[in-house]
Amino acid sequence: MTTASLLAVTLESIAVCFEGIIPSSISTCSADGTPNITNLSVVHCIDSRHVGLSYQFFNKTRQNIGQNPFVQVVVVSPANLHQYRLDLRYERTETEGPVFEKMKTRLDAVASQTGMSHIFKLRGVDVFEVLDCRPINAEAGGEALPKVDFLPQIEEFTDRLSACAGLESVINVSLDSLSALFGYDHSFLMIPDEDGKRLFTLGSHGFGESGIGSEVWIGEGILGIAAQRREVVRTTNFSRDVLYSNTVRSAVERGGDDSLLERQIALPGLPQVQSQLVVPLVAQDRLLAILCLQSATTGRFLSDDERVVRIAARQMAAAMALQERLESIKLQEIPRQPSTVVPTAVSTVKHYKADDSIFIDDAYLIKGIAGRIFWKLVQSYAQSGRVDFSNKEIRLDATLQLPDFKDNLEARLILLRRRLQDRCDFVRLAHMGRGHFRLEVNRQLALKEW
Amino acid sequence: MENENPTSIGEELRVFLEGPVSVLVGTRDSRLIPEITRAWGPRVADDRQRVSLCVPLATSYKTLDNLEANGEIAVAFSLPTNYRTIQLKGRLVATGEPDSMDLAAVERHRDAFAKVNEPLGQPREQIDAFWQAEIETSPVLVRILFVPRQVFDQTPGPGAGRSL
Repeated sequence: MTTASLLAVTLESIAVCFEGIIPSSISTCSADGTPNITNLSVVHCIDSRHVGLSYQFFNKTRQNIGQNPFVQVVVVSPANLHQYRLDLRYERTETEGPVFEKMKTRLDAVASQTGMSHIFKLRGVDVFEVLDCRPINAEAGGEALPKVDFLPQIEEFTDRLSACAGLESVINVSLDSLSALFGYDHSFLMIPDEDGKRLFTLGSHGFGESGIGSEVWIGEGILGIAAQRREVVRTTNFSRDVLYSNTVRSAVERGGDDSLLERQIALPGLPQVQSQLVVPLVAQDRLLAILCLQSATTGRFLSDDERVVRIAARQMAAAMALQERLESIKLQEIPRQPSTVVPTAVSTVKHYKADDSIFIDDAYLIKGIAGRIFWKLVQSYAQSGRVDFSNKEIRLDATLQLPDFKDNLEARLILLRRRLQDRCDFVRLAHMGRGHFRLEVNRQLALKEW
Repeated sequence: MENENPTSIGEELRVFLEGPVSVLVGTRDSRLIPEITRAWGPRVADDRQRVSLCVPLATSYKTLDNLEANGEIAVAFSLPTNYRTIQLKGRLVATGEPDSMDLAAVERHRDAFAKVNEPLGQPREQIDAFWQAEIETSPVLVRILFVPRQVFDQTPGPGAGRSL
């Protein structure tokens, strides 16, 4: 017999209650008849008749479920604080599969972000059949949020993407359009470095500081875990997550490798981020980037937003992969022109060999491969006044020791161009058509190597 | 069933229980099916051995039936700002009409609860709407008096559930 029609309120109609924005409560009862009641951070809706609860610690609730499968949870709608009682019957515990993996990724991501990876481990997902779902006050009914029709926007989004030429254009147009078409006003995009250990920020939209060039480790924190697992991580009430984590926290010292990360550039981010949606961009089974959307509003990104951003991210990944391919085949030489401008002011460019970091007048600009490329360009400029360069010659220049990873050169040049925009008003890397760029310098440069 | 003697509630615990906490009541029926309801205005009696709280009749019929039938009660007190949670388990002494002191405690509690939730992103109107929705169909509150026999620290983490 199907019992789906018996729920007084369908789970779909109260989907927003399962987003973890407001904590839920759970009551169980032992075999000897002693009730137990406690809070739950989130009840996950699995399908129209099942919910899942995370099993992290063996506590009284878990012990009681073993003795008596009947459970009640109360969930709260963040929209209007209506409360709903769900009568449940324990069915099974999943320790693998898509539901488990999704919950595990989210838990691990938040745990990693708050330095709690050794405490928070998902042991399983307890799956319950929903026997009844009804409003706490008989007067309240279901409250499905009006479905937003994203179709016209996603069509427009793909249209704009298809008109892009070049990786930088793909990134800029994507982030601008996510804001203009969907109202996702704060976003940034990070791409993996050559050795696949770090992500660096290549584009951002809607933040005070662009954060271009900032880095995180792949595998650490919300961004790093999403990249490593290639899974979407969505948080709806980050301050509650952090609060919860801090409550459980015993002092956690982190050591070592952090000094290797680029800390001189802060990640783009809202000071009061409450909601975050991190979506990996994957094409041909390669992680090309991660897209991060932020909002200071709790519950800003719901399941429909996740769905639409997944579609947008697939389009972005496909567009990026296509640009890579175009970059690598459309190479041609252009004539080299000596610079005719003779600037008067002098600035000092320092290159530190140890990490290829570049400082202009003692202000940090960039390091690593992009730093090496920049040093090569300004040396060439200082020696011969040369200003025009091609991607191909950079790629083929043995002295630069570029990793055998051609696809990342364009990203490095974008990074360099953006950092110059952010930090230096007298040196510019200008696009000169596909595969070519010009170094524009409006000041004399004194070069120093350390 | 648990049969411990009444437990005495110390001053620090009393202050916590009567503070800006969320108060949830768990009971069960004869088939051991649990029932949750939200309570307001908890008060620790002068003898430190009994606790009273008020539940809206409109949302708590089943809870009150359960208590009438078997007296088993569990109450979780949780502070929204740091998740510190205490659970009391015990037995019903009596249900009845709240007096003016109880109603004043309900007012104080709702006010304190709203204030502590505001910085967490819940505007005052929403918190007020929260309990107002519960009494939409009937403003009647019922007072529950019970004797706690066990106290548990239920603050989230590996040690949750520790008996105090």
